[in-house]
Amino acid sequence: MDRNSTGLVFVLPALIVLAMLIAYPVAYTGLLSVTDRQGAFVGLTNFKAVLSARATPQAFWNTIWFVGGSIVFQVLLGTATAILLNQSFFGRGIVRSITLIPWVVPGIVAATTWAWMFHTEFGIINYMMTGSGIIPEPIGWLTNGNTVMPVLIAINVWKLFPFVAIMVLAGLQSIPNDLYEAARVDGANFWQEVRFIMIPQVRSVIVAVTLLLVIWGLNSITIIYAITRGGPANRTLITPIQIFRLAFESTQFNQAAALSVIFFAVALVIVIIYIRALASAPGEAK
Amino acid sequence: MMKFKTLAVMATAMTMLTSGAALAGEVVWWTPNFNEARARELATKFEQANQGIKIKLEITTTDGLPQRVLTALQSGAAPDIIDVQHAWVNGYAQNGLVVAVDDVLKDREDYIPASLDYCTWNSKLWAIPYRIETHAVIYNKGAFKDAGLDPAKPPQTWDELVAAAKTLSKGKVSGFAITGGGEVGNTIFRSLPFIWMNGGDIISADAKKAVVNQPAAVAAVKFYTDFYKNKQSPASTLENDGTANRRLFIAETVAAYQSGQFDVASIKKENPKIDIGVMPIPHPAGKPTAALLGGWSFVIPSSAKNPTEAKKFVAFLAEAPNQGALTDTFPARKSAMSLPRFSDPILTVFKEMLPYGRAVPNNKNWVQITQAYFEGIQRILLGDEDVQTAMDGAAKDIQALLDQ
Repeated sequence: MDRNSTGLVFVLPALIVLAMLIAYPVAYTGLLSVTDRQGAFVGLTNFKAVLSARATPQAFWNTIWFVGGSIVFQVLLGTATAILLNQSFFGRGIVRSITLIPWVVPGIVAATTWAWMFHTEFGIINYMMTGSGIIPEPIGWLTNGNTVMPVLIAINVWKLFPFVAIMVLAGLQSIPNDLYEAARVDGANFWQEVRFIMIPQVRSVIVAVTLLLVIWGLNSITIIYAITRGGPANRTLITPIQIFRLAFESTQFNQAAALSVIFFAVALVIVIIYIRALASAPGEAK
Repeated sequence: MMKFKTLAVMATAMTMLTSGAALAGEVVWWTPNFNEARARELATKFEQANQGIKIKLEITTTDGLPQRVLTALQSGAAPDIIDVQHAWVNGYAQNGLVVAVDDVLKDREDYIPASLDYCTWNSKLWAIPYRIETHAVIYNKGAFKDAGLDPAKPPQTWDELVAAAKTLSKGKVSGFAITGGGEVGNTIFRSLPFIWMNGGDIISADAKKAVVNQPAAVAAVKFYTDFYKNKQSPASTLENDGTANRRLFIAETVAAYQSGQFDVASIKKENPKIDIGVMPIPHPAGKPTAALLGGWSFVIPSSAKNPTEAKKFVAFLAEAPNQGALTDTFPARKSAMSLPRFSDPILTVFKEMLPYGRAVPNNKNWVQITQAYFEGIQRILLGDEDVQTAMDGAAKDIQALLDQ
């Protein structure tokens, strides 16, 4: 045995485990998508069936809305929070800990709690708003077609902005103090420090975090499924939930696999475009 | 090389540990938490009569149960017996996940026919039903009195129900609560009987054509959704399932709603002040009522470790007195119905409804068909579409599923 093949023997067990954990499910999904329940090859029938369903395009646009809307506010709110928590003020440690709570709470717990708070009859939000006279009668936050998606985006933002805040905060703390001192000598005020020092310095962190948020957003089921199950009338149906429904509620594993393959391709394209666009962005700090 | 051997031994040991959890002669039985106490008694009784067979109970909860059962069945590491709802059985049978149990069934004519219809596919029986139930309408007699209605004479026809709901709805009280949220089944259970009693259906008997947009069905859907449109069902209807309606009934903001007898105990416990009345589901004048038959049955997974012992135990559980002991509602066998526990007067109307109970069609795409129909209902409740347009849309989706 030469050195190379000895090395190969050592990594082989790990490779086999990896292959079993990653390659097998991916390959099996691919196989499922072109077969029927009995395992016979059916070509593109499953793809045709899922693409002709009325819910599919709607779920796709809902996914874009949900993921896009969530990320914009998660990044904005998270970055602003990080900048705030980077200042020195009394009780900063406590505020930093409290900020983390939404991120630490398990998704299903948070979702169920919010679902109750937004409930038309029993919810505390309607109770407080009608009690103080802000709104004349209870609003069906989760049943009104115009409010349900924004409400879910808000919950998702609430859940994940602390993650962005912590990551950006870590980035902010690695900025050397000389930069601020130099800026102050030049007469920069706080906003100019934010704009010309903090944001450019943490740009790479924000880029990486956003990519993570895109991937998580495209895979998120918990919050929406626990609150609305994709309803009412598919207003909040996103593609991952549609896949889940097809597989585990309708036992259409083959169609679910076909939709997964399509969704995987779309997600891959989005991620590649994102990475390309940022790789070619001018003046990125390496 | 030594190491390789050790590894191989360890790997084998691990495999045996994980898969060998079920010993020979041990039957693992998944049953829901509401059955636990009664199931333990029956298991002990069986073990005493059958030395050498051990029954191992694993308690499930109904929330998320369909997904859990399906995952276990698909993974090949399933228990020997699972309690499932009738309507899930066909999906399992068509995917080859459970074994046929024709050899277990005795006294076929003693079963309520609709319960066997549910568990049949390809002219074989895939589960043994042991529990059946239908809905009736539970109402608050006090609310009827307050509104000037006679609680001893509840509405019998659709027109009478609409009139009563109108009279009962005032202030914070909703006269008749429908469901429009939660799991699809909630709304199927409550609205499909209205379509049936009006002579309509969702799909034709030969499963070739979607008929949900034909006049009989459309009139019934309009009747159902109008309770919300006319503010006789709570503002939260679109997020309410059966449990939410029960809570609103307990809070005395709902005067009447459809449900099964399992709600009676919790209403009595949480608000003993309510004088509970039960009426058959109102029907169109001159036509008989209808209800959707629900309930539970036993399946034996294809990957069960001890199918022979499992079948023996299922045959024991299927005996009339044992069905009568295990069921939370009514037994699937007529002869078990004479047991004293089913003679409580509050159960009378629920019992009267049983012969009107019907099974949903055994279609491989039934879950998706009901999903399409339910989305139509939600579009009507949201005010997006009128009843005919929504049902035309649902019919188109359903037809595509039937043509597959």
